[in-house]
Amino acid sequence: MKSRYEAAKQVFIDSVDFEDYIDLNSSVAAYKQLEYSLDKPLKMILLFGRPGTGKSILLNHIQQKLKHQREIYYFDTPAVNEKEFFHKLFKVLTQKDLPNNTEVNFSALVEFCQGLRGKREIVILLDEAQMYDTEMMEKIRLLSDSRAVKFVISLHKTEDEDLIAKEHFKSRIWEVIELKNASREDQATYIHKKLLKKNLFDIANSIKAKEMKMIHHFTKGNYRECNKLLFTIFEICEHYDKNESAKINYTHIHSKIIEMSALKLGYINV
Amino acid sequence: MYDITPLEDKWKKYKRRKRRPWYIGGMILIFLIFSMIFFLKNSEKYINQLKVYFTTVTSTVEIEEVEKVKKVHIKSNIVVNGPLMTLEVEKEGVDISGVIEVASTEDILVDIPILDGEEEDHLAKPKKAIHLDIIKTANARAFKDVEKRFRSSHDTEDSLFLARTYYDKGQYEQSEFWALETNKISPNIEESMFIFVKSKMKLGRKDEARNILTGYLKKSNSPKARNLLLRIENNKF
Repeated sequence: MKSRYEAAKQVFIDSVDFEDYIDLNSSVAAYKQLEYSLDKPLKMILLFGRPGTGKSILLNHIQQKLKHQREIYYFDTPAVNEKEFFHKLFKVLTQKDLPNNTEVNFSALVEFCQGLRGKREIVILLDEAQMYDTEMMEKIRLLSDSRAVKFVISLHKTEDEDLIAKEHFKSRIWEVIELKNASREDQATYIHKKLLKKNLFDIANSIKAKEMKMIHHFTKGNYRECNKLLFTIFEICEHYDKNESAKINYTHIHSKIIEMSALKLGYINV
Repeated sequence: MYDITPLEDKWKKYKRRKRRPWYIGGMILIFLIFSMIFFLKNSEKYINQLKVYFTTVTSTVEIEEVEKVKKVHIKSNIVVNGPLMTLEVEKEGVDISGVIEVASTEDILVDIPILDGEEEDHLAKPKKAIHLDIIKTANARAFKDVEKRFRSSHDTEDSLFLARTYYDKGQYEQSEFWALETNKISPNIEESMFIFVKSKMKLGRKDEARNILTGYLKKSNSPKARNLLLRIENNKF
């Protein structure tokens, strides 16, 4: 027999799927700010925040929303090397695949971009930009100087702050959008909305305010940690539901299960 | 989920550890409450003990017994303690500082009026009531108080006391007056008659005294009255 908690568990599998995007007060504000910034003649926009604050899903969401209105591309994972990155960029800019056994000439690419100025406005969303090395970032900066290609650079707040600090880079980043961990209210809304999206109303209702507070305490409002914790909670619930149903209250997820999940994930220790 | 049992055990340990500070805090709180109750109940005792601890002195105690003219010198280490200093003197070697003078028995004895030999026999008989304030005293106010009391109570004990005392002091007119007052209330009190007659004699009214006594003797046939009359007639008074 399939447990009711199995579906709930699947809801919290971490992903950057457009379908998983949840409108929250904070995320709507960040989205509007980013959309507004893209309309401005800016070369580079910096989107930063701690891991798990929703940067990737925001970029993915904005790309899906605007893809029919403007040329906007989402580079989800960093290229393994420079060659691969320029292959991808060549395809975006020229709408063609790079012929076999050929390499992109960077100077020619810059000239090509300069030629596009005033004709096209291309937006490249670079996720996990902290993984690009300094030389690559310098080349990205040169491409953005053409004013035909606009880069939204997403990176973790704590890592590569030195990169942002560099003067020549700093001067080109005209807009900075910071994403933060969710407040307790936002996190509760996030959990409820995610469950309701999959018609899991009873389960959503079984997580009361006290338990929401506890979840927020353990995850500090981080979306990725929240997904991990909820996944574990429903995994334990699923086990009890299938094997020891006396230990579970279907109308109220007990704090014991949340604490067990926190212990399993190492948020708390004995 | 394959690790649920170890996870449950881990959770039980976690709960125990989480509750421990509350248990310890609760126990400390209970201990503090009991300590406070105990302290409040015994605070006076502890304060005295603290005083004792901090203020120890050495002094010499001398007890002088005035009545026996005997001095007892006691030297000891004593504790200066407020209550002990002011309230009590212990028997030997403690809690006495300075010289203590035991009051002389003379100060507390009551003077008994001195009467003639015959009258002393009369006084030896048991009396009905004892008036503690009927004492021989030089204080004029005391006489006034007894007179005042007599006027309201007409107690012959008071009037007879005044007659006797004035006679002893040589105030014969006064003693004559109070002997008469006593006789007016109770004519059967022989002593008042004798004081009256003796006062007349002292005032030089021998005939009056003899006539009164003769009249009384006829009525009472008292041997004491006869004896007194004999002494008057033989000029042996």
